[in-house]
Amino acid sequence: MLLSLAIWLQNTGLFRFLRESDHGYEILLALHVSSIALFTAAVVLTDLRLLGWALRGHSVQSIINEMRVPKRVGFLCVATFGFLMFGMKAEEYYYNVFFRTKVLLFLLVAAHAIIFRPRVYNRATAPSGVKLAAGCSLALWLAIVCAGRGIGYIHPPVFSHHFAMQTRYTTEMGLK
Amino acid sequence: MFIENPLNASEWTFPILEVLHISSFAIAIGTVALVDFRLLGLGLRAQTAGQLTKDTRAATLISLSVALFSGLLLYSTDPDKFYLNISFLFKITCLLLAISFHYTIHRRVALADSSPMLGRLVAVVSIALWVGVVFGGIFIEFVKPGLGFD
Repeated sequence: MLLSLAIWLQNTGLFRFLRESDHGYEILLALHVSSIALFTAAVVLTDLRLLGWALRGHSVQSIINEMRVPKRVGFLCVATFGFLMFGMKAEEYYYNVFFRTKVLLFLLVAAHAIIFRPRVYNRATAPSGVKLAAGCSLALWLAIVCAGRGIGYIHPPVFSHHFAMQTRYTTEMGLK
Repeated sequence: MFIENPLNASEWTFPILEVLHISSFAIAIGTVALVDFRLLGLGLRAQTAGQLTKDTRAATLISLSVALFSGLLLYSTDPDKFYLNISFLFKITCLLLAISFHYTIHRRVALADSSPMLGRLVAVVSIALWVGVVFGGIFIEFVKPGLGFD
């Protein structure tokens, strides 16, 4: 079911177009990583303040409020570029163990938001659980960076559409 | 005499250093970007650009140092691959310009909270240089090896 959905997605017009473009994937990857910088900075500054390790001159609430917009804008950009890269290689990513790990980690991020948002991030006063929330957030996002980088280490399975394309590409470019 | 780089002894060192490199440059570039967006007048209105610079200065410096050292270690695993790579040379050029710009003009303009036009110009240059570093880094793996002099 998920596999046929992935194959359908990568054969839609948009993703065909991106796949056939010259450096589409690399450009999207660079934009993805650039937006990760903005998002990460906002998350890390928030979490460091929650832990009391930095920005102690400001209240927890003011830092949470300040960083909310860059965090959301950053996440929107990261997710958009990430989804476009996924769509280009959806079939291949379906089999990728690091991609699967990353999806599971995003479910944990959702759980983190459900648990801690009402208790920590939307409260005026700092209740208990603040440090736990910050620690879990930092650990989860670090794990997502690891899984994300790992995706690129897995070669596409030989039966996937992308394998033939990549082989042709590396031959043409004279790589390896 | 040929000395084996101990970093090449395990297949895990490179990916671990990469993750360290990515996480640290993300914090470094991201904290600079927060100041840049403030200079552009996009969000973070509760503080001036000067205050924001002071608040993020330590995070930027620490993470930039980690990124530079992990980057040097990554480079040491296969120097030939990198210095004979046009994208890597582009990245290093952008990086040197970005760091010099950051600790001179960018810093002074952000701390002075001077005219908005100057602030915007500085922010645009800063974002362009740092995004150039990221693009250069990503494209190392995708450009043809060699500088085309062969």
